[in-house]
Amino acid sequence: MTLLDGLPVIHMSTSSTSSTSSVVKAKIHDSSRQPPPFLEEIQELWRLRELVVLWAERNIKLRYKRSVLGILWTLLEPLILMIILSVVFSQLFRFRVENYSIYLLSGLLLFDFLSRSTLQIVEEIVVSQGLASRIYVPRTVFAVATILSYLVSWVIALVPLLIIMLILGHPITVTMLTVPAGMLLTSLFALGVGLLVATLGASFHDIKLTYQVLLTAWLYATPIIYPLDIVPEQFRHWFYLNPLLYFCSTVRDPIFLGKTAAAEAWLLALACSLGTLLVGWWVFTSRRRTFDYLS
Amino acid sequence: MTTSVEPTPTPPEPSHAVESAIELTEISVRFEIPTERILSFKEYVLRRITSRIERQVLWALRDVDVNVRSGEVLGIIGRNGAGKSTLLKVVSRVLQPTAGRVVIRGDLAPLLELGAGFHFDLTGRENVYLNAALLGHLRKDVDERLDLAVEFSGLHNFFDVPIRNYSTGMLARLGFAVATMFRPDILLIDEILAVGDAAFQEKCLHRIEEFRSRGTTILLVSHQYGEIAQHCDRALWLDQGRVAAIGDTQDVLDRYTAALSADQI
Repeated sequence: MTLLDGLPVIHMSTSSTSSTSSVVKAKIHDSSRQPPPFLEEIQELWRLRELVVLWAERNIKLRYKRSVLGILWTLLEPLILMIILSVVFSQLFRFRVENYSIYLLSGLLLFDFLSRSTLQIVEEIVVSQGLASRIYVPRTVFAVATILSYLVSWVIALVPLLIIMLILGHPITVTMLTVPAGMLLTSLFALGVGLLVATLGASFHDIKLTYQVLLTAWLYATPIIYPLDIVPEQFRHWFYLNPLLYFCSTVRDPIFLGKTAAAEAWLLALACSLGTLLVGWWVFTSRRRTFDYLS
Repeated sequence: MTTSVEPTPTPPEPSHAVESAIELTEISVRFEIPTERILSFKEYVLRRITSRIERQVLWALRDVDVNVRSGEVLGIIGRNGAGKSTLLKVVSRVLQPTAGRVVIRGDLAPLLELGAGFHFDLTGRENVYLNAALLGHLRKDVDERLDLAVEFSGLHNFFDVPIRNYSTGMLARLGFAVATMFRPDILLIDEILAVGDAAFQEKCLHRIEEFRSRGTTILLVSHQYGEIAQHCDRALWLDQGRVAAIGDTQDVLDRYTAALSADQI
């Protein structure tokens, strides 16, 4: 073996590590000793956490790079949509909701976040295929980065909502401090949903289209545009099966009603988000090998 | 004296003393290529019910055993489709082999295709940070080395310009600069030295040689035999996914070229 070692220091004592100093901390990858995909993916994601943040930054930059108004779009888009829907629904259908625009916007921003981020995850997983077939990157990096970047947009879009609240003289209470917790739970839920849809969407192009249609149905099945009160009593129990109801409650109640969501809503939101994320993570990571062979 | 002192100096496990940087044991990679591409879920379900989906099975690698010592430069040769790139993908963990065991000791940087992670709407600087992060480097380490990358790429005035305005040569320079900003323990090179002008190629080879002298293990895929003969300690000849020969560079090259010319007649 001394024959084989050409150049550097040959010390028998340091046999467990290689000769150069940087190799002392060297990571060893052994495919036969890897943890199950579910856990390995978490490890790898943590190792590349800086990449997640950079990738989220990149997404935000790219989203507005070629638009004149740039980040202003994040503010304008929900406002315009809100004005249209406010006029249509409060004037035509005449719900008896005071400050309807605040009710609408607080729920709509949540739904907007959910639909955009999940659709984008499906897109990212397909697009990142080119990259992931060249450099080893755990694909959840792209999913988590997508959620992060849309979460930032959501936070920014809360600014016009606050302004409207001030203009309308709607009470701003301390309970609004619980809104970030609701947004966090919604994000975990969105990540789970995104991973589930992306797993299917990676192999079949029409999954994304199907999901888009389902999203529209989901919007109308959730009391976002209308209040739950207008749903006839006998149908209402069906609405309680919709997890989105609880996420809406955690975010909208402090804003619109000035009180924190009920404990049951919090618990159900927590259960739904963690449950969906675990299932999504598991399905996505266990199907990881099939992504490798897609290209 | 005779009994107690003896055991210490003799290394009990000689295989451990020279650690290999890369250990591939019975690696097989199977691709299943559907004979028709089924893109829609509906079609898939219908096919699933009515008939089996026909797939063509292709073994890109079959029972490949390769050990690369730390600090060694291994050249990989073979015809198109012999499995050279697949082998690099297995080593870089991009592709999980269908069977077999992969052991990698140390940081690994692939130089597969220059600028694989680049986005054309971002500037050179932004792309450098992203690409370095893709390879697992921390931002603060990139900060320290950034000047080096600028220097090496020679893109001083263009560093903050979106790279869609770059020429192919500039892209190659940026890509190589990012990939070699940090000295990896293991470097994978797949045919990338074909781009750029002679001066740039010279510069790249110089950098690679520098890495080598500092102990980087290198896998080099190339069709230029001169390159292999000049830089490699050993050569590996892959043929239809199997190891046709591995060993002394000149010896393997001679056998490979002999086989090639025999085929052509």
